[in-house]
Amino acid sequence: MDKVVNIRINGRHIRARAGQTVMEAAKGVGIDIPSLCHHPAVTPIGACRICVVEIERQRGLQPACTFPVTEGMRVETESPKVVEERRFILGLLFSEGNHYCPFCESSGDCELQALAYRYGLDHWIYQNPGEARPVDGTREHFIMDHNRCILCRRCIRVCSELAANNTLGVKYRGAKTVICADGGVPFGESTCISCGTCLQICPTGALIDRKSAYAGRESQVERTKSVCMFCSVGCGSEIITRAGRVLRVEGEWEEHNNGVLCLKGRFELFKETRKRIETPLIRKDSRMQQVSWEEALDTLAQAFKKSPSKKIGAWTTCRTLNLTLSEFVAVFLGKIGANVGVLELTLARFKLPLGGSLNDLLSADTILVTGADPLSDHPVIGYHIKRACMNGARLVLVSDNNNEMRRFAHKTFSLNEMGKAVKFCQNSASPVVLYGEETPPEQAEKLAALQRKAHFIPLFPESNGFHAKALGLRANFAPSQMEAVYLLLEDTSLSDEKIKQAREAKFLAVHASYHSPITEVADIVFPALLWYEHEGSLYNLEGKKVAVRKAVSLPEGLIPENEVLTQLAARM
Amino acid sequence: MGGERSMAKIKIATDWLAACAGCHMSLLDLDERLVQLLDKIEITSSPITDLKYPPREGVTVGILTGTVNNTAHLEVARVMRERCQILVSLGDCSVLGGVPLMRNQVKMEDALRRAYVETESTVDGLIPRSEELAQPIFARPLDQVVKVDVYLPGCPPSADAIHFVIGELLEGRIPVLKDQVLKYD
Repeated sequence: MDKVVNIRINGRHIRARAGQTVMEAAKGVGIDIPSLCHHPAVTPIGACRICVVEIERQRGLQPACTFPVTEGMRVETESPKVVEERRFILGLLFSEGNHYCPFCESSGDCELQALAYRYGLDHWIYQNPGEARPVDGTREHFIMDHNRCILCRRCIRVCSELAANNTLGVKYRGAKTVICADGGVPFGESTCISCGTCLQICPTGALIDRKSAYAGRESQVERTKSVCMFCSVGCGSEIITRAGRVLRVEGEWEEHNNGVLCLKGRFELFKETRKRIETPLIRKDSRMQQVSWEEALDTLAQAFKKSPSKKIGAWTTCRTLNLTLSEFVAVFLGKIGANVGVLELTLARFKLPLGGSLNDLLSADTILVTGADPLSDHPVIGYHIKRACMNGARLVLVSDNNNEMRRFAHKTFSLNEMGKAVKFCQNSASPVVLYGEETPPEQAEKLAALQRKAHFIPLFPESNGFHAKALGLRANFAPSQMEAVYLLLEDTSLSDEKIKQAREAKFLAVHASYHSPITEVADIVFPALLWYEHEGSLYNLEGKKVAVRKAVSLPEGLIPENEVLTQLAARM
Repeated sequence: MGGERSMAKIKIATDWLAACAGCHMSLLDLDERLVQLLDKIEITSSPITDLKYPPREGVTVGILTGTVNNTAHLEVARVMRERCQILVSLGDCSVLGGVPLMRNQVKMEDALRRAYVETESTVDGLIPRSEELAQPIFARPLDQVVKVDVYLPGCPPSADAIHFVIGELLEGRIPVLKDQVLKYD
């Protein structure tokens, strides 16, 4: 139990925990102390001073975000002196840069503006020299307008503390101070990885998302708490929509990813240019023609009935939700008795433990990464590893290729030196092992020696790999030996080689969201939903079941994949 | 407007500086409330009536909108200040500087050339240089050239906000803006 500290805030008795700041103690009982530079996700630095409070027996006002509580402390959060000081600080903040609201993207959602309203600023107290600062638009997805920046340094702190990328800092001094990348290069040419965490945490309109700018204020949009489907980390996310259109995606602060997403998770959704499949299609007279669901399902059932079950093959991507995956197994294996499998590897070859968490990673003293490149394929895991390393953990990399993580490794071993890597971990107190598909199984066996000591995190190549593995599905793609083949692709696409193999089957059914080379050659095509049109769940690589929520309404005429499979089963 | 009652009416003068007229449109948005107000106030002069200048004998309330943008604005602001007891700075341009402030970020000569010569629709443009014309100056909010008593920001301030401010002044109070009345956009 933490030690209790008795304090008074605005005359109210509060039992705070030792080590808490005045801000945290106040927040805990619902007393709102305003903040600008402070954000719960990062270390408080007391830069903006807007949270100043009156503390008995303290000389001058003190910032609540950094001041620790002590026994018997008496705090006033909205006394006349405090309010006067906050108005003065706001006056200073408005005296630099351009904080003119009418043409600012953030007007209505701006934390600086909200404070000016709260403290009734009806004009700017100090003259603003109006000197223009530069605008940096060199990054693909978001723009930095230095004129709107109040130098709260939230962006710098998320960049170093959460994304562990250390790109951002400040240059110059005094009134000339500006946020900069790598000491002063254009953002687009810097080491910035465009994870967009700074964009999400910026309290003003200094960082602007190109896609969703001016498209809707907070009061006009809907937020759906969901899960990112771009890899098996399954980052908690919020999908922000307006009138059925996705505006942007933000990371969920309370989830294991701590608000961080990667370039893909945050922006990839908006780069989609493929054409959506809107109705079932059947090849007639060597042309794909639109047909009704009834006709399409009847045709599919007929084709399966004509083939012996041994000659029917069904493969699905692991980038699909639990219900669809279970229904896929129930229908094709249970009802039809077909050959079933998945299109991506599922770590099925390894008999290693699962269940390690991202939190384990942060508290690890040694991190062993084998057969995977988290920074490329599971970026948020990569950031977590870098965070742990910044806090003193040692990274042991077991890899034969040019791995992105190599630069951060304390020791690097080749895949056939696994024994040495394991030995290194045995000498540490809290190791974490991350293993991916490139680990040779005989080397992976050596990791078993760490079973009692280490947490194991499997790096599945696709988002719902955990569930696919649990269902016993394997990457046994062999369509050429089949007469009838069903492929559930969702929004993934297949390599030319795999398309060629698939087309060797007499009858090819494809269930996909987008038109692609394989839908051109299929005999029958079913339209699939996108993951954010579904209500469902998946298992992330921690093995935790997480809810994937429907953020936009179902497009007209579309049926969820699991229901399509159920209807198919009814016809068999 | 009965003769004997008009004696008791509060006199209000209004004018604009570098403004888009939006603030005065918002004033007209008072609709029937404007008619009710006219029982209590007399608008002596405004940019949208025949009489443009505040009367020499003075008014109780002066309302100015727009940015101080040229030498003529300096004069308008000075005269209004001299002839009114309470000066209201109305709208974002007047209170904060507004859009015209963006001109400060380029050199004056560049701004003039762009406006009078380089605009795509201009043929054989010429920068007006007559000494009879007002000269452009560094753009600034009203309170940087004269003392302002009441601020009402907004682009434009809503009719409700204007109604609130005039109402408070008629009650003899200096308005304190909050909630829906205090908006910067």
